[in-house]
Order: sequence, then C-alpha cells, then structure tokens
Amino acid sequence: MKPASDRALWIFAAAALALPIIADGNKFLAFVLGMTYISLLWATGMNLMYGFVGLMPLMFAGVAGIAGYAVVHLTRELGWSFWLAMPVATVMAALAGVALGLPSLRLKGFYFTLCSLVIQTVLTLAFIFFPTYTNGDTGINQIAPPDWFGGQLKGLGLELMIALFTVVGILICAWIVRSPLGQRFVAIREDDILAEAIGIRVVRCKIIAFFIVSLYAGVGGCFYSVYIGFISPRAFDVLVSMNIWLFVAFGGRGTIAGPIIGTAILAPIPFLLQDLQAFKDILSGVLIIVVTLLMPGGIYGAWLARRRRTQKAMTDSARVQESRV
Amino acid sequence: MNIKLKTCASAIALAAAALCAAPAAAQSPRPIKIGFVTELTGPWTFFGTSCVAGLKFATDEINKAGGVLGRPLEFIVTDNQTKSDQALAASRNLDINDKVLALSGPTSSDVALAMYGYAEQQKIPFLVPVAAFPQLTKPGTRYTFRIEPDAAGWGYAMAKYIEQVKPGAKVALMHSDAALMRAIMAGFRYQAPRSKLNIVADIMFPQGSSDATVQAAQVRAAAPDYVIVSGAGAFDNVITNQLLDLGIKPQQIIHPYGITTQVFGWGQRSVGSIYGTFFDVGLDSLTPSGKDFIARFDAANNRPPSYVENYCYVTPYIFKEAIEAAGTADDREKLRNAISALNTKERTSGVPIVFDKNGARKEYMYFQEIVSVNGKRSYQSKQRFYIEWDPEVIPVYDLVK
Amino acid sequence: MTDAQILILMSTLSTGLILGAIFALVAAGVTIVYGCVWLPNASNGQFFLLASLAAWTFTASFGWTSLAAAAGVLILGTALSYLLEWILIRRLYDTPNRNVAYFVVTLGLTQIMTGIFSLTYAKWSDQFTLPPIIEGITMFGPFPMPNNRLVVMGVSLLVLVLLFVLLRYHPYGRALRAVFQNREAAALRGVNVRAIYRLSFVLGSVIIFLGGILFALAYSYDLTVAWTMSITAFAIMIIGGPGSVIGALVIGMTFGFTQAIVSIFASPTAATFSYLGAMLLILLFRPSGLFKR
Repeated sequence: MKPASDRALWIFAAAALALPIIADGNKFLAFVLGMTYISLLWATGMNLMYGFVGLMPLMFAGVAGIAGYAVVHLTRELGWSFWLAMPVATVMAALAGVALGLPSLRLKGFYFTLCSLVIQTVLTLAFIFFPTYTNGDTGINQIAPPDWFGGQLKGLGLELMIALFTVVGILICAWIVRSPLGQRFVAIREDDILAEAIGIRVVRCKIIAFFIVSLYAGVGGCFYSVYIGFISPRAFDVLVSMNIWLFVAFGGRGTIAGPIIGTAILAPIPFLLQDLQAFKDILSGVLIIVVTLLMPGGIYGAWLARRRRTQKAMTDSARVQESRV
Repeated sequence: MNIKLKTCASAIALAAAALCAAPAAAQSPRPIKIGFVTELTGPWTFFGTSCVAGLKFATDEINKAGGVLGRPLEFIVTDNQTKSDQALAASRNLDINDKVLALSGPTSSDVALAMYGYAEQQKIPFLVPVAAFPQLTKPGTRYTFRIEPDAAGWGYAMAKYIEQVKPGAKVALMHSDAALMRAIMAGFRYQAPRSKLNIVADIMFPQGSSDATVQAAQVRAAAPDYVIVSGAGAFDNVITNQLLDLGIKPQQIIHPYGITTQVFGWGQRSVGSIYGTFFDVGLDSLTPSGKDFIARFDAANNRPPSYVENYCYVTPYIFKEAIEAAGTADDREKLRNAISALNTKERTSGVPIVFDKNGARKEYMYFQEIVSVNGKRSYQSKQRFYIEWDPEVIPVYDLVK
Repeated sequence: MTDAQILILMSTLSTGLILGAIFALVAAGVTIVYGCVWLPNASNGQFFLLASLAAWTFTASFGWTSLAAAAGVLILGTALSYLLEWILIRRLYDTPNRNVAYFVVTLGLTQIMTGIFSLTYAKWSDQFTLPPIIEGITMFGPFPMPNNRLVVMGVSLLVLVLLFVLLRYHPYGRALRAVFQNREAAALRGVNVRAIYRLSFVLGSVIIFLGGILFALAYSYDLTVAWTMSITAFAIMIIGGPGSVIGALVIGMTFGFTQAIVSIFASPTAATFSYLGAMLLILLFRPSGLFKR
C-alpha cells in the first residue's frame, strides 16, 4: 500500500488545525469536533496495532482509562500541573499496557482478541471495585480544565491543543509506518513465523508496538478527562474499544487516511443525528458486519482498489491503442 | 387624485394592513424552554420513558391553563442513551444553542452526576427529578436541586420503620452489589444500632448473580424477624421468590423501594410484604389532583403510576411556581434563588417541598403493605408508615462517597 | 445435622445442578459451533435472551402456557438459525482465519440485537417472568422444592445426557465429531462438510435457545442477563477447551456450583475476579483448555 504522501499529510495537518478556529462560532459543533479529534487520536493508535501489526486489542479503552484516572488523581490529590501529570500518567498507562499485553504475546488472531477482551473486562471491574482511586461506579465529576500560565486552558485553546496532539500523533504514526520498524510490523502481520525466520525479533517488536499504542490510548484518555469533565468506568469500557476499532475498520485499516475517514464519518454521528440515536446500536452492528464481509479494506481500501482497477483498465486500453499504431 | 396615485395609495394601505396583521398573528408568546435530558435508550430506558410520560401530563395541563407568566412551558426532551458523555453533549447543546432556562431530566444517578458538574460550572439551575445518590447535593452545591430523597436516607427510614413496628427486631439483609443498594444499606447499617436493631445476616450478591436459594437458606437459618431484600433488576424477584419458597413469610419481607412494575413482579405471592415508596396509589394523603393524575395516567398507559412518573409530573409544577415567584423566565440566577426559597407542597400528595442550602429536599418516605395484586393491571396497597426527616440527620455525605 | 444445615446443603445441591446444567448447555452450544465451524459466537448471550424474551411474549401477550411457549420458541429458534446460516454464516465458510472474522461479525450481531431489544422489550418492562410449568412444592425432608424448579432441573440434565449420547453414538453426532477433529479427512470419507457446518450451527444455536427457555422458566430476568451469560459461556468454553463438549459440561457444572456456594466461603468480589482470572490463566498457559476435543 502506498504510504501517504508528504504533501497530503501537511495539507491535512493545516486543515485539522484550522478547523477548530472555523468552528469556534458554534460551541456545540466545536465540542463535537473536539470529541472527534480525541477519537481520531485513539483510532490512530488502534490502527497501528490492528492495521499494521495485525492484532485487535480490545483492552485499548481500559488503558486509556488508566491514564484518565491517573491524570485526575495526580492533578487533584497531588496538585500537579496537568502538563506534568499527563506525560507521567500516559507513561504509566503505557507500562501497564505492556505488562497486561505481555502474557498474550504468544497468542494470535482470535485468542489474542479474546484475551484482550478478558483483560478489558478485568480493567473495567477494577475501575468499579477499587473506589479509592476511581470513586467506583459513581465516577469523578467536575474535572478542572488544564492549567495554563496562571489561568485555565479551555474552549478554543483546549480544542487547538487537542488538535495539535492529534496531528502530531498522526504524523508520528506516518513516520513509524515508513520506518524500518513499521516494515517489521507489516512483516509480522503477514506471517509472523516467517518474520521470525528471517531475523525479526517478533516478541521485541510486539512489545514496542504495545508500548507505542498504549501511549496513544493514554494521551487520548488524559484529554478525554479534562475535555468532558467527567469520567466513570463506563467511559472506558469494551464498547468504547469496539467503537474505535470500527472507526479504523470502516475507514480502512493499515492506511493513514483510513482512520481519518472512518472517524470523521462515524464519530460525530451519536452527537449530531439525535433522531437516529435509537438506531445507533443497530446501525453500528450492521456497519461492523458489512465492513467485515464486504469491505475488509474499509472505505479507503475499497476506493483504492477501485482506482487500481480503473488505472489498470486505462493502461490496458492505452496499450492496445499503441499497438495499433 | 389620478388613478396611478390611487392604486399606489391602496397598495400601500393594503401593505400596511398586512404588516399590522402579521405581528398580531405572530404575537403568540415565546415559550419558556427547559432542557430535559433523560434515558430514552440504553439500560434505563424504562425509567426515562416512564418519566417523560408523567412529564407530558403536567406540561399539557399547565399550558392549557395559560402557561407560566403567560408563556407556554416547553421541555426539550433529549435522549442521553444512559451515557454520561451523551448527557454532557446534550446539556451543552441545550445550554448554548437553545439557551434553555434550566436543565432537568435524568433518572440515572450516574448521568445526573455528569450533568451536575456541567450545571454547577455553567451556573444553570438543574432540577433532578429521579436520582438518589447523595453526592448530587454535596455541601457547596448551588445550582442543583434533588427532588427524590437520597438513598442512604431510605436505609435510615427503613430502620425507623422497623424500630416503630418491632423494637429490638432481628433483621437479615440481602442485596445486590450495585451503587444504589450499597448506599441504601450504608444508611440502614448506620441507623440500625441506633434504633436497637440486630443485623443477624448480611449477604451481598455480586453482579450477574442468578440464584439465591443457598443464601435464602442461610438467612432462614438465622431466624430473622425481617428480611430486607434489594436485588438489582429482576434478581429482586428471584431473591423474593426463593425466600418465600423456603418458608419465609411475605410479612417478613421488606423492600426498600417499589415501583409499579416491581409490585406486579412480586405478585400475589407477596401480599403482606412491605415496600418503601414516595408516591403510590394506596397513599392516605392523595389529593384530588393526585387521584385525577392516577386515573388519567392509568387510562392512558394501562398501568398505575408510581413515584418515577409522579416526580416527573411534579417537576413542571415546581418550575412553574419558582418562575412565577422569580417574576421572570429569563434570569437563571433569579430562578435558582426562587427554587432555593420555595416552600410548597406536592400537587399529588401534599408532601412538603422545601430545599436545604445544598439543594437537598426535606426528605420523606412512605411504607406500603401489599394488599392485592391484579395480574399486570392494578394493585392495592395500604399505607403503614410515613416519616419525614432532614437530609443530614445521618452523616450522609460521609457514609456514601 | 440440623434442619438449617440440611436446608443449606440441599439448596446448594439444587442450585448447583440447575445453574450448572444451564451454563453447561449454553457453553456446549457455543463450543459445538466453535469446534465444528470455527465460529466463536459472541452473540450467544443475545440468542439466550431472545429465547427468554420470546417465551415471555408468548405467555404474557398471547396467553399461552409456559410449555406451549417453550415449544414455540424452539420451533422459531430452529427456523431463525437456518435463516441466519443462510444469510450470514455460510459466507465465511471458505475464508482462512475465519474465527476472527466470525468473532467480529457476531459482535456486530450482538450490537444489532441489543439495539432491537432496546427499542422494544426495554420499553415494555424492566423485568420478565414466566408462569410456572407446574405449581406446588415437593418436600425433601425439611427442604421445600418448588415443582417448577424440579422440572427445569430434570429437563436440563436430561438434555445434557441426550446431547452427550447424540454426539457419541448417533451417525450425525459421529459425523460432527469427525469434522471437529479433521475436516479434510472427513471430507475424503464422504462427509458433506458444508451440511455438517449448517447442522452444527443450528444444533448449537438451538441448544443455546433451550438454555434461555430453561433459565426463564426457573428465574425472573432482565436484559442484563445477555452480557453476563456471554462472558460466562466463553469462560467455560475456554477453560473447558474450545470444541470439547465434555469440557463444557464439566466446567459448566463447576461454575454452577461455585456460584451457589460463593456467599458461604468467599467474598462476592473475589468470586467475580476469580473466574476471569482462571480464564486468563488457561488462555496463557494452556490455550487448548483442560479437556481435549
């Protein structure tokens, strides 16, 4: 698959940073945009694991939750600045992600997915049953926005910051994908036994992947906490993981553009189409089935395939023309 | 005047007349908008939709009688899917785009707590019709008001009821491990020694339990006078039936709370059991409005209303009184102060409505005995006990975090 | 032994047997389909719930007896399974690594069914009960056992035995096991593999439906039972060994008895974590489960 061109990336970055400014007039749309960006950051991380390494980590949301709860604990109980708490919480969550992923390193495919599902369930239960840190089912509300030079960073400022992190996250992902590490990921995805045979340290690569992907989950989790202002075990449960997975699968896994398309289309739906909300579950389920059966490459994948076919067709007819001359 | 001028003049006259008529036709007053964010889908669908049913009755009545301050009262009902982030998004939308005067609606405490943060931050009066977590009115709350008594208080009231009916009684507890039940039992366990009650068995069921026979046998072995049963959802029926199967008498069973569908679920087998409630068809103190509401709701929905529908019926009337006391429907701060200063009664039962400095209402509870259950259509109950108390008579904000 | 102790013992026995049998049935249904078609059915909890809710509709709205409702649900369930196989399941028979695809597809199916239930049953009531098949109580010494519960227990155990006999001795059962063990060899021997796939999907699903009916007859339930049963069924299947019906039976019974005695010996929180922990341990150290196919 062609890596995303540099130009496309920079155009996207500029657009993504400009959008919150444009949307600032309508606070509700700005809010939906902010949520979409956080989802996009998560989708990028999920795509790295699912699209490039080939494993479906359903415990993604749980790891995000660890960071989310940690950052609240550090800022509230210990009085840290958000900008110190966030990297610490994120790294903590990433280490936890690796630790939780370690045992399942040898598993593949369905067993890996099932194992991550169980780990996610355990995490959600841990959030509920250790209320000292998480306030249990009740959740933590009135989370303050991040501190910013004496004041608070909220509204447009916070949205721009989230947009910035998301864009940087995508750029980093694009860079990883093109690097030797990224190529090793793809090799593992295609055939990990062969990969091991040609000298790729599969286990080490997987651990690195877990770490990086958990970083994405963690950063998103931190921003989610301060953006929504309320977190509870339900905010980081298995349905969230599955939704993020759907954004990636629907848009086109294993590409950079795919998650962007998928998230841009699907993430705003629950917030915007109020009338459709009753059917949201049904719609989501149908999409999952359609994507798996008919469009394994997602929307972007289907579009790319179509383009290839048209190009091929055009090239063939051009050849025929030439041969006539 | 030549013809041209005449035509012009008549045209102008007609236009002027039309312009005068138009504003007169558009003179119907701006509605007073209140955001109502509730659970229309998701696990709490049943409570959200029941609530909206009660709400509609009241809004229709109020608007037929001329509205509030001459303007129609409009509740913008929005679905929160029983999810906190959806509730927050909806609240934001209602606040910023619709510029609602106040917020209301949730029946799930989780969701209510999420909206609470937003309401306090944005200084929007937030009247919670049905949600029992104490933290909704924790000290320092200014804009949030809770109509339903808090869950720890229900436990307190149960202890007072048993104290009055059988001093020194031996009590067994059987409850699910959900936040609501933990709060109720925390209140009960606090008050029990103070009411000289003995807890002889204390059994908590993990989430996802299906069967309670063994635990029922354990309770039977402890020979209690009363068994307090509070299961989550349908499990409540399971515990109740299995206790009855093993020979515990219905008169020994007390449920902390009961809505109509629960009473139907307990059925004829539970005749003689006691349940707590805040509004019921069998209250002694039903007002004529209350009886009328019950009759009309029953006719429209094929079941009698209970306290969920009642609270949502009473909510518009509270708004009406407060807006009228404030004198304006465009000032959130004045509305907040008016609600805080309110001293009135529930339209349907005459129970007082007074809020303390944190927005918690002066609390009360009825305990009803099931007299008969007629399939899934109707039931009869008899009032056995009524108690009022101040929300902080027990250290509720410390008991339940 | 005092009366009280007899009560506790007998109730442990009866609860363990009923819950164990129902768990075992559902897990057996899931494991048959996984072992044969390589289809991990993530929506098994929704199937379970569908059967229970349909039975409720038959009794509450149509006024049928519980027995008639059970029969109705089984017939409906069989038809539904064939339909589902025809529309959806067969499309992936030839896909390599189809277990992940099936897992995801059934997750999608779970969402769809959750949505449908949310639009219908969730609005109609927050709890559901079926009228008992037989009224009355039988005394086992000092222990009163409702006849309805006795019937459910008897039927569940009977079905388990029949299932076991079917798989071990009946030609169809033998063909199923042949495909379980080695599909290429089975195909060479003339077994119509696709037909066996279809049969096992329908069989597995109908067993799950049966579990749902039996559960509904014994207990009151609400919509949360779907998710709970899904996790339990998967846990049993994984620990028992995917594809192993014996494993499903033994571990299912174990789970049933564990749930029965949890309040006597352990804290509820510990119980909840322990079976998840057991599942993780098995996945990590012995993915083929405790019992071979």
